[in-house]
Amino acid sequence: MLSTPTGTDVYAMGALFPILAVLLGALLSTLLGFWVSRRALTYMNIGWLLISGVWMMTLWNQGRQAFTHAVALSDGQPLITASLQADNPALLLGLVILVGSVMTLLVSLDTAWRARISFPEFDAMLMYAVTGALLMAFSGDLIVLLIGLEIMSLSGYVLATLQDSRRAEESGLKYFLLGAVGSAILIYGIAFVYGATGSLNFAEISLRVGSVSGLLPQNTGILVGGALLVLIGFAFKIALVPFHQWTPDVYSGAPTSISLFLSTVVKVAVFAGMLRVFSGALADAPGWASVLQILTAATLIIGNSAALLQRNFKRMLAYSAVAHTGFLAMALLGTPATGGAALTYYLLVYTLMTAAALAIVAALQRSEVGMEISDLRGLFYRHPAYAVALAICLASLAGLPPFAGFFGKYLAFQAAFQNGYVWLSVLAAVTSVAALIYYLRPGMLMFMPDRTPSREYAHGQRPPTTLAVVLGVAGVTLLGLLPNVWYGWVSNPAIWQLLAGR
Amino acid sequence: MIFLPMFGSLILLVTPKRWRDEMAGLLSALTLGFGFMIWRAGGSGPLDVNWVPALGITYSTELSGVSLALAMVTAFMSFIAVLYAARRIPNPGTMLSLILAMETGLIGIFAARDLVLFYVFFEDALLPSLLMLAIYGKQGRMRALVKFAAYTLFGSLLMLVSIIGIKYLGGSPTFALADLRTHVLPAGSTQTWLYVAFLTAMAVKLPLWPLHAWLPDFHEQNHDSGIPDVMGTLYKVGGYGVFTFGITLFPDASLELRPILMGLAAFTALYAAWIAFHQQDWKRLLAYAGLSHMGFVALGVFSLNETAVIGAMYLLAFQNLYTGALFLAVGMVQERTGSIQVRVGGVMTQAGALGGLTLALWLASIAVPGMAGFVGEFSILLGAYQVYPWLAFLAGITTIAAAAYALTAFQHTFWQARPPGGIPVRDLVHTEWLILALPLGIAIFFGVYSAPALNLMQPAVKAVLTALGGQ
Repeated sequence: MLSTPTGTDVYAMGALFPILAVLLGALLSTLLGFWVSRRALTYMNIGWLLISGVWMMTLWNQGRQAFTHAVALSDGQPLITASLQADNPALLLGLVILVGSVMTLLVSLDTAWRARISFPEFDAMLMYAVTGALLMAFSGDLIVLLIGLEIMSLSGYVLATLQDSRRAEESGLKYFLLGAVGSAILIYGIAFVYGATGSLNFAEISLRVGSVSGLLPQNTGILVGGALLVLIGFAFKIALVPFHQWTPDVYSGAPTSISLFLSTVVKVAVFAGMLRVFSGALADAPGWASVLQILTAATLIIGNSAALLQRNFKRMLAYSAVAHTGFLAMALLGTPATGGAALTYYLLVYTLMTAAALAIVAALQRSEVGMEISDLRGLFYRHPAYAVALAICLASLAGLPPFAGFFGKYLAFQAAFQNGYVWLSVLAAVTSVAALIYYLRPGMLMFMPDRTPSREYAHGQRPPTTLAVVLGVAGVTLLGLLPNVWYGWVSNPAIWQLLAGR
Repeated sequence: MIFLPMFGSLILLVTPKRWRDEMAGLLSALTLGFGFMIWRAGGSGPLDVNWVPALGITYSTELSGVSLALAMVTAFMSFIAVLYAARRIPNPGTMLSLILAMETGLIGIFAARDLVLFYVFFEDALLPSLLMLAIYGKQGRMRALVKFAAYTLFGSLLMLVSIIGIKYLGGSPTFALADLRTHVLPAGSTQTWLYVAFLTAMAVKLPLWPLHAWLPDFHEQNHDSGIPDVMGTLYKVGGYGVFTFGITLFPDASLELRPILMGLAAFTALYAAWIAFHQQDWKRLLAYAGLSHMGFVALGVFSLNETAVIGAMYLLAFQNLYTGALFLAVGMVQERTGSIQVRVGGVMTQAGALGGLTLALWLASIAVPGMAGFVGEFSILLGAYQVYPWLAFLAGITTIAAAAYALTAFQHTFWQARPPGGIPVRDLVHTEWLILALPLGIAIFFGVYSAPALNLMQPAVKAVLTALGGQ
């Protein structure tokens, strides 16, 4: 089977534009940083992100592809494959990434100065990371996916270390070392997959994996090995147990606005990549599903029970992010149609609620260490609006209706349940109880009367952070009451057939 | 009727402080009024709207029969609670909003004809009750809260899995009850397991014996006024849920598990009455008394016998009236004597009316003939006797035990010699008369003349029991 480039015209390049807009923002931030204040750069970057978002919406249903190749199939029909595709899943996930990025920038407007990370480099790095994240969501082959992942990860390492403090350095180094191990394993896995299938393109891989004739029997072992290595590489990045050890340290060691970014945007991007690989390219490959199932179960148990023991609120949110990874990974076990839809819905909701919760922490904390859970006592009587907003976020994280977290969880349960993973959904339900308790404790403490002096940063409530919080809370409530607003888009099973580009 | 209180709860946030009491009273009265209108019209027809079509979740509600009766009692008790809260709690704005928010959840539960919607309201009623406990609770509330939440939410999540299972394995296009009924699972272990998961949620709420531990702590740690407890008597939900969804959707499993469940229920009733006898704290005592009543309700529902089920629903509806009023009466005693211990002594000599009304309410609670409780308990025993005579006998002992604990405790508080140096105790004033007398009046009315309520419930019960193939 020979693959020949078909050339790329201007129309096809339209698929690239949302990524280019973000990249342009990154480049401009790098250059203009010498002359313009950081705040101006941040406003500009928010603008670029919005432009990118609008452009994505106009690409809806067009299915544009860039860098296409024509592969001659055995039956003579040409198969058009693309390295970069702006199909509907990519656009949906891309929008989720943008939501998280905009919220990060809004929060950083207020808190970056206090966290001593208010450099133009912060903006530049952030925008590079978003570029990488979008590349992952739009990727059509493993190489683009890997490039996106590396751009995102490298910027992420810098971001985590940007603050001039021992804690940040330690967390950045930890992130870098473990991230590098993850990348190495991932690359090794990609090599295996290439060795087994002779292709890097998702569409071609899925074609050869799907048809037994395309795969020599002795290659099956290599394929299984490759799929598992890729899975483990990704598992490092999204913090599936037992590859999660770095998460609490990095999330709690990095400045809060950066933890916000790492725990939302980066995770969304990696899940987008996983969706492409495991629900698309390797969907028919044997082996990975049962391993993912065990990893998911371990994540659910360990993530939830570890969060139960935390005293520090920010650390607790970090562990809860690990626990949510478990729920998200459950969605991957569904069929592409139910799982993809569930994952996309859940990712948006997860981004909104996690970002809003961390934004509140960022606004109210005294230092970047975050707050002790006991410090939250009586918050309602000091900052009523923030307390109510945080309570809504926690209720949503816990999966209580009528907030959107409930439907997210529900969809994940349903996706796994319908694909036959009954015991996993029951386990998820049981571990959710632990989750409910650790979300409930701070949630309820906030409403208990308290007469001791406040422990919050005195000047926390500023308009941009409040805007980010409002965005999150309004989104979570709206999507909870009318899930169809977003789910109606993502639930169309037809768009998930295209995951692999077939 | 469902969303009016929630709307009111939001309105209260922006109402000026002076008018909050009146506003809350007006809205809860309006809700009750709507309830009456629906009753006059013979129940609201079903309302079906596609909520999340992609998932087959519909917004379908219906208020008729049993659910209407329960919703009306809820609305009525919310009104009473608002009335009392406005007077008793200083600066009651938050409490009033929570009461109204909870009312929406509870009425929604009774109105829901879609399993996911039921689940949503189920959790919705929970949040305000948790907040009430958090804001107005006592010292040990955090423990009580975590215990309460852990039990309830654990049950709910199992229920959620079971809900997904019913729909998916039964092949129903939506979660609406009407659709699910036409796609009931075939009898077998799958149905039984799903029923067990569903039942776990209901048994926590009901509460049934091994899953009841949250209840006494919950009531003990709540605010002394007893208002949260009135709303907190959401354990109605359990019995109702088993009745409406459990029996209809798992007919074979409920027949199969009938002996075990009835045994558990009878044991719960007896055991709770026994523990209630030893309580020193009025609220714990009431909590166990309520638990004992719920054992009766469960006995009735699980017996799957028409008479017993009607009795159970009757008891379920009216139990809330007198138990709720008793919680408020405890609050009044506490306001006067500063304690909710049973051994206060001598309240009767100075507060005759309070004592008299409390006694009357207790009599209603222990099912003295002529009160609503009697109709319920008698029908349950009558029905259960036809199924398992021995269990009915066992449960019947409870009524004697109930008289024992109720009268002993009453005697200690109201008659026994006053401790030296006790402060003078004021008798009932203003609205307090209404607050205790209205529920009592209704309990007596329906105890003597039960036809309107029975006529409302009977067709609904019959309809549900047809799912069993004419038991």
